[in-house]
Amino acid sequence: MRGFLPFLGHRLFRAVIALWLVSTVVFVVMRLSGDPVPLLLPPDAPRSEIFRVRAELGLDRPLPVQYGVFLANLARGDFGRSIHFREPAFSVVRGYLAATLELGLTAFVLAALVAVPIGLFSAMRRNTLVDHAAMGVALVGQSAPTFFLGILFILLLSLKADLFPTSGRGDWRHLVLPALTLGAFTMASIARLTRSAVLEVLGADYIRTARAKGVSERWVVAKHTLKNAAIPIVTITGLQFGTLLGGAVVTETVFSWPGIGRLAIQSIYNRDYPVVQCTVFLAALLFIVINFFIDLVYGLLDPRIRAG
Amino acid sequence: MEVTRRDLLKGAAALGAAAAVPLTPAGARAQTTQKKELIIGQGGDISKFDPHFSTSSNDIRISFNVYDNLVSRRPDGKLHPGLATEWKTQGATTWVFKVRQGVKWHNGDPFSSADAKFSLERTFDPNMKTRVNTVFTTIDRIEAPDAGTLIIHTKKPDPLLPARLAFYGGQIVPKKYLEAVGGDTFNAKPVGTGPVQFVSWTKDDKVVLDANPNYWGGRIDVDRVIFRAIPEMAPRIAALLKGEVDVITQLPPDQGDRVNANASTRVAGALYAGLYVLAVNSKIKPLDNPLVKQALSLGIDREAIVKELWRGRGIVPSGPIARGDNHFDASLPPLAYKPKEARERLKKAGYKNEEIVIETTSGYTANDKPMSEAIAAMWKDVGVNAKVEIVEYSVRAQKNRDKSFKGLWWSDPTSTLGDPDGMMWRLLAPGGPQDYWRHAKFDELGEAARFSIDEKFRGQAYKDMTKVFLEHLPWVPVIQPYEDYGLQKYVDWTPNPNQQFEIRRFNFKMRRA
Repeated sequence: MRGFLPFLGHRLFRAVIALWLVSTVVFVVMRLSGDPVPLLLPPDAPRSEIFRVRAELGLDRPLPVQYGVFLANLARGDFGRSIHFREPAFSVVRGYLAATLELGLTAFVLAALVAVPIGLFSAMRRNTLVDHAAMGVALVGQSAPTFFLGILFILLLSLKADLFPTSGRGDWRHLVLPALTLGAFTMASIARLTRSAVLEVLGADYIRTARAKGVSERWVVAKHTLKNAAIPIVTITGLQFGTLLGGAVVTETVFSWPGIGRLAIQSIYNRDYPVVQCTVFLAALLFIVINFFIDLVYGLLDPRIRAG
Repeated sequence: MEVTRRDLLKGAAALGAAAAVPLTPAGARAQTTQKKELIIGQGGDISKFDPHFSTSSNDIRISFNVYDNLVSRRPDGKLHPGLATEWKTQGATTWVFKVRQGVKWHNGDPFSSADAKFSLERTFDPNMKTRVNTVFTTIDRIEAPDAGTLIIHTKKPDPLLPARLAFYGGQIVPKKYLEAVGGDTFNAKPVGTGPVQFVSWTKDDKVVLDANPNYWGGRIDVDRVIFRAIPEMAPRIAALLKGEVDVITQLPPDQGDRVNANASTRVAGALYAGLYVLAVNSKIKPLDNPLVKQALSLGIDREAIVKELWRGRGIVPSGPIARGDNHFDASLPPLAYKPKEARERLKKAGYKNEEIVIETTSGYTANDKPMSEAIAAMWKDVGVNAKVEIVEYSVRAQKNRDKSFKGLWWSDPTSTLGDPDGMMWRLLAPGGPQDYWRHAKFDELGEAARFSIDEKFRGQAYKDMTKVFLEHLPWVPVIQPYEDYGLQKYVDWTPNPNQQFEIRRFNFKMRRA
């Protein structure tokens, strides 16, 4: 593989820049959002007390100094101590991150496993009842708000049909409804995109050539169509992972899932700077890592990308 | 074959009977249980286990069961022995408490009066920065002469000291353990004397507690108690209806019918020991004018709010004292809705159409936003230039601290002592958290009532304070609501009006077959 190492180095450099930018934006925005100290003390605490706690947390220092300390600690992997929980921010986030990964990856895999075959099938049975039905459902999945879908699933599949628990984290049965809810949008997007990507490839000259030389339809799809349609599908799949992390907030709230989305919201309300910074940093890191692997997959799928 | 109407009816009856057969045992089963686990679904996660660092309702539901107080206020509103078995005054400012013997902390250490002295002093120790530092301001000093005796000296006579000991701030924490491990570890691995002991906490998911086998009040009826955080209302109710949880808190009034209609669940409510009020920043114009505030109060159709927004689950207040409290005056009429008079008072006040803002949270208290919108519409009808602004909870906390509210905002003062001293005087006194308005007579009476042991004098003082209050309205009281819980029918449990969530033996059991 020519130039793989420079490619890797370039990617890594860009990842570091992206992480630095994300951390800086969060640092600034959180400081603009207000002072955490009033939320920590009783409502009638005297002024002197507020100043004391502010000093204790290092919030009395000039912003550039706070920023310098923040970056220096970050470089050592130290996200600081949670103002609200009074323990290292990373150890707070770690527990939530596991829950979010469990949910996010399940939703992601579920979405990909269901959506790609549906999209493919729809494309091959273009303009039939099956195609219209599948794309109709996909449209609903893409347009229905997560909140609505979640409550609907709880009422229908849990309360009425008694198939799954209503909420909370536990065994695999607890995972099904939140993963379906979270994955619905992604599933629908991937299905629709797969359909159009496959349709486009199916109209290409080389497919007509393959068919003309008597290649079986199954082989046409497996060998010639799927591989060529894969690039846009893989791209959207990678980007959708970010949507999954972002969309997790609502799903986690509806299903009482103890994930980083809820933690981030709560920590923003509590103005718990270190936890918010740590959460966003790790989410960004995750997104970057996933997309890095997707870039690698591109190279495998299409030699032209590797070369270029 | 000719089928007659009678045959059809017979067939239908038989079908009905057949359908009913499997239902009956299930229905009967639902009324009893063999479960040895109690699961409670509440609207939010716990934030602190250290009872002196939180007064939030999600936290005290747990801390009042992990820890004991010296004195216990039961759902009947009366004070009962807790870790203190009896108490009496010695002279005007000395209280002697006999402390229960043979009680052990969850870690096996023996409990003594030294723990009680340590706990109470900890609440107001300026170095501790507790959240309950104002609860025991009447205490001068505390002695623990022997393991079974606690003597509390108050600065002035304090008739409500036992009541103060019964609510938040009064939870007794272990001196030896806390001093050995420090506050952070204590908060992470709490140790109390209460009916349940800490097992684990998964943040934003659940708190697991085991029954304390040696509880002095008797081991509770289950082996394990789990508090689950289910923030959204719809899934919380679904979890109850499906039988995944045994009790849910914060049941909205419009959902009660659904819970009652379900064969295996029911609603249990208690009239809240407190009021929902629109607190007023009386320092800003035109709210510094009592006539304007009177007009605002007269312009609210509280009956309609109770009926429409609360489905009748509340009563219209008559003043600043909650029904059920000491010195509640049953002869006072409910606050009236008189739109015509409201208009006249605005005119008399010289109201110049200044904007009057309600800064409401959305969902911090039940119905806060819908009530704000309804009230603003009612005010517009009487000629008030009313506006509703929605603020996020942490913004409200900040405004509370800075005293920077633009007009009115929701407050849900809890009557912590079953007495006006623990409600209006706790909040509206000079230097208190809601000090936006001063009135010499009100202040003088509040201070005198706090330190008088003459209940007749106190009663008169609160009557006179109510009169001043109703003229000046530092709060516009709106409703005294019921606080509803959803329960499985096999759970025998009585809610406490003050949000204390008692799962002690006297108040909780599972119905067994």
